Parts: sequence; structure tokens; C-alpha cells
Amino acid sequence: MTTQYPVLTEGPEPGLPRPDRASGAVAPSPGPAWDGPTYYGRAQLKPAPFENAVVGGYIFLAGLSGSSAILAAIAQATRGEEAGPLVRRARYTALLAPTLGSALLIYDLHTPSRFYTMLRVAKATSPMSIGTWILMGFSGCAILTAAAQFAGDRGVAPRAAGVVARLAGWPAAVLGAGLSTYTASLLAATSTPLWAAAPRALAVRFGASSMAAGAAALALAETDAPTRRRLETLTAAALAVELAGDAAAALAYRRTGVAPATRGRAGRVERFGAVGLGVVLPLGLYAARHWRDRAGRPEDGRALSVAAGLAVLAGSALLRVAVMGAGDDSAARPDVSFRFSQPDNLPPGL
Amino acid sequence: MTMHPRAADFPQSDLPGVIPHESELTAGVRIEPGRSYGFFTDTTVCIGCKACEVACKEWNNLPADNLGLTGHSYDNTGALSANTWRHVAFVETSGCGGVRDTVEAPFQSGWLMMSDVCKHCHNAPCLEACPTGALFKTEFDTVVVQQDICNGCGYCVPACPFGVVDVSPVDGKAHKCTLCYDRLKGGLEPACAKACPTDSIQFGELSVLQARAEERVAVLHERGVPGAYLYGTPGAPGATGDLGHLNAFFLLTARPEVYNLPAAPTRPANRVAPSLASGLAAVAGLAVAAAFLLGASDRRRS
Repeated sequence: MTTQYPVLTEGPEPGLPRPDRASGAVAPSPGPAWDGPTYYGRAQLKPAPFENAVVGGYIFLAGLSGSSAILAAIAQATRGEEAGPLVRRARYTALLAPTLGSALLIYDLHTPSRFYTMLRVAKATSPMSIGTWILMGFSGCAILTAAAQFAGDRGVAPRAAGVVARLAGWPAAVLGAGLSTYTASLLAATSTPLWAAAPRALAVRFGASSMAAGAAALALAETDAPTRRRLETLTAAALAVELAGDAAAALAYRRTGVAPATRGRAGRVERFGAVGLGVVLPLGLYAARHWRDRAGRPEDGRALSVAAGLAVLAGSALLRVAVMGAGDDSAARPDVSFRFSQPDNLPPGL
Repeated sequence: MTMHPRAADFPQSDLPGVIPHESELTAGVRIEPGRSYGFFTDTTVCIGCKACEVACKEWNNLPADNLGLTGHSYDNTGALSANTWRHVAFVETSGCGGVRDTVEAPFQSGWLMMSDVCKHCHNAPCLEACPTGALFKTEFDTVVVQQDICNGCGYCVPACPFGVVDVSPVDGKAHKCTLCYDRLKGGLEPACAKACPTDSIQFGELSVLQARAEERVAVLHERGVPGAYLYGTPGAPGATGDLGHLNAFFLLTARPEVYNLPAAPTRPANRVAPSLASGLAAVAGLAVAAAFLLGASDRRRS
């Protein structure tokens, strides 16, 4: 059979390479961003449909409550009756997650009336399921501890109330550690590039930030000066760990090519709000306060301490909201998500 | 393609009911619970007719998403969403800077078209992330959202490495392709595969489809399409990072990114343990520091 139409043996001249050129002629180069083809610059992933202020606020409250429960148990065990006011405040602070935090979580559901379907399964592959059960367990223990504290304070069976508060306080502390950190696992176990790029560093940042927030909040309310100093030293230690986590995360972002997603507004909030205001500034203020103590003017340092504590709390909340926002940015940018899903970013052995 | 012998039993246009095991006649496969089913989408024979999109919307009663023009070639659908479970991507490979060439090689060889769909991953990240158990593996090895259980937490959306699952603002539940779970139960092949006029979308048992796809790649290589490869079969691009394999896999002729697919997606659940362990270690370390700090002040006082 003969051909009825002219056949071009060669196609048209190849066009110039451009970012969204589909020929595949542009070789992928491991670099800061993907400069190979994209599909009309459209997002390859869908950003999480969370309200960042709401879920970020929950993560902050969960961290604050979790670390308060830890500090309550430790203060009770190491100082006993002497630390009574500190323990009382810590036990009441731990109620933030079961009350306001849970309400925020249910508010963020797209079908809030079905919040209870979270309780029909338990899944080790889903940090949200793990977190549901951690929050349930923590809520039970924290509420029991706080109720016993309340009863004891009002003179209702003070001895039995003390025993109940101590006994329920330990599981609350253990679950509080989970409550402070599972939220990082929740973000890391997604396909959102920025969250998935540094699972370990993100968890260290969230865990340390939780402890810093808990200690700072308790230090703000502490009237006993030596105890306040100890809590502030603990806050500074937690901030130092958080700073190390920040550095590790920044390195991982650069290595895996998701760093461009941190150059938006959320990334700026993370750098200047969470790290600058929430970590570097308070560390400086605590150092200044320490220097004044050394110089023999301890009373002058109270304002510095209060400012540092407030900055830590604000930074801890901003960290969570900013990380969520930057994650959404990374999911919306195909250059970032395609760079992240290159074979050189696969975990070893897979 | 030869006619199935049973097809002669149903010559009339108006049928009294569903033909028993109709998929045998239309797709050459009997649908039985306990076996793995999926899609093989061969993009080299896709003509971009969007019959799959329409058939999907018709069968599943899904409303339109976008009635405007996107300016992205003939793709006015844009992306998969809560209401769009098949999406035909259009890529114009010739021309430069958005200007179409005046000279075209025959057979429209300057086009790439691909009908995208939920991949029904073997280790499905959406299913592993779902905290309510609304997402589950069916008896046909497909992944489906149970609408009477989903509470719209939205965690499956960022979990999906392909950007498939979406929460509908209308009913507040997660939606995605069900691989026509209801049709499979009734012995019918999925609507998109049945509507596809070029057999670009093929429905069948996964092992059979994978063997057929390997054969098709070999044929294409022989015919002078050296760039043809499979996306989503075991060990291939798309089935990386412990995802296992994709029950809906593709034959592509350009880089995955060209079709808006990730080259090497990963399984998010593998990141749960490392991040939990590191976070707990950091908190435990700080708790020990707290015990020393608070305990030390005790000793100093006494």
C-alpha cells in the first residue's frame, strides 16, 4: 500500500528549552530548585486543608500542656511539698490541651459533628490516630490530676487527693511527652515537601519548643526567685536544643532542595518570629539577666525575665503556625515538590 | 479484538437488566473478590477525548468544577479534585514559548495526553494516614473513602504523594476515585475504562495488566519509541519509596514531571517512627535536665 500523503521524515526544529517545556530535553540538575519541566506551573500536590492558626494554636497548646504535666511530675518528685505552688500551676496549665486544644481540633474538622469517628480505630501508621489516643489518655490523667489538686486545695480528703494527683501525674507526664512531639510526626508523615524533608529535626524543634514554652510559662508565674531562676535556666537549655534543631532543619531543607519554599511570608515569620523573637532574643535576654545577677543587681533583671518569657511563648506559637504555612507553600510550588521527589532524595535502602 | 462468545447472547439494545459478569464481555476479565484489580493507562493511544472524565462524572453524579478556560492547551479541567476523579492532561511538545508551530509532523506527534486518576497505591499513604478508618482497602485491592465515616479531618490530602485526594467544601468529606467500587460489585468494569474509545484506559487484573504493559513497552521500543516506559509498576518510577506498586499505572513517553507526576514519591508512614523517636529523645533529655535543675536547688537549700 502506497502512502497517500507526504510524510515528513524529520520533525520541526526543536524549540529552545524552557522551564515548562515538555520534551524532557532539559536535564534535571540537583540544585536549589527544580528547573526541569512542570505542568503549566500547576501544583503537583494539594496543600493540607487545615486552618493554620487553629491547628498551629492546638500544637502550641498541646506542647505547653504536655511539658507542664512533665514539669509538674518532676517538681513534685524532686521538691515535694516545697514546690506546691509550682506543681499546682503546672497541673492547671496542663488542662489547656484537653479543653481549649480539643475544641480547636474539633473546630478544624470539615465535619465537626463526626469528631467521634476518630475513636473507632487505632493506627500506628497515622500520627493523627496516635495523637488522638495520646490526647485521650493525657486528658484523662491531666483532668484527674487537676481535680485531685483542686480537691486537696479545698481540704477535701487532702491526703487521698495528694496520692491520686501523684499517681495520675506520672502517666500524664509520659503522655505529655508524646503530646509535645507527636504533632511534628503528624506533619512529617505527609507528602508535603517541607514537612517531610526533616522529620527528625522538626520533632526536636517541636519537642524543645514545647519544653521551653512550659518552663517559660511557669517561670512567668513563679514568685519564688530561686525556683524562677531554675525554670529560666531550663527554658534557656530548651531554647538551645531548639536552635540546634532549627540549624539541622535548615541544612536538611537546603540538601533536599525545599529551601525555596521558606522564602515566602510564612518562611519569614519562621525565621524572624519563631527563631529570632522566640529563641535568639530570649537567649540574649536571659544572658543579660544572668550578667546583671552576677553584677549584684538581681531585682533589675525581673523585667528582662518577663520579656524573655513572653517572647518564648509567642515564638513557640509562631513556630507552629509558620511551619504549617511554609509547608503549604512548598506543596503549592511544583518546582519545590518535583525537586524533593527526585530519586536522590529517596531514603537509603528504598 | 475477538468478541466474547457470551456477547452473542445479548443482541438486543434494551436489556432487561445488568448482564451477569458484564466485564467479561467489555474488558475480558471476571471480577471476583479477593483479587487485585487496577487500571493500565497507555498514554501513547490517548486521543484526549475526555470521554473518561465525562463517564466518571455521569456514573458518580459529580458536578463540574470549572466552566472557564484555563489557557493550558485543551486542559480546562486542571487537576483531580473532590469532584473530578479523571483528569486528562494535555501537553504540547512542539512549539516554543506557548506559540504553536505552523508545521506539524503527521499523527499529531507533538501531543502528549494522559488521563490521570487515583493510583490506588499498594501501601496507600491516604489510607495509612486516615485516623477514622474511613479509607479502606476493598476486596478488589482498591482504596475507597467510606462517606458515612469520614469526618473531614483532611489529613489524607497532604498524605497523598500524587495530590489526588481532596476535601469537598460542599459536604466536608474527602473524595477521590473509588475505581467504581459499586460497579465492580455488580460485575461491571469501571465507567472510564468502559467509555475509553481507544483502550488507552484498560481495566483488569493487576498481574495481567502488568504483563500486557511490559509487552506494549517492548512493542513500542521496537517501533521506534525508545522513550516509552512504565510508571507505577514494581521497581519503576512512581512505585518508589516503599509505596510497593500502583494499582493504576501508566505508560509514559516523557519525564514523569511533564505529566505532573513525581519521579520518586515516598511512603509518609516511614517517617512516623524516626520523628517520634527523635522528638521523645529531645523531650526526655530536657526532662532529665529539669530533674537535675529542680533537684539541685533542693539540695542547695537543705
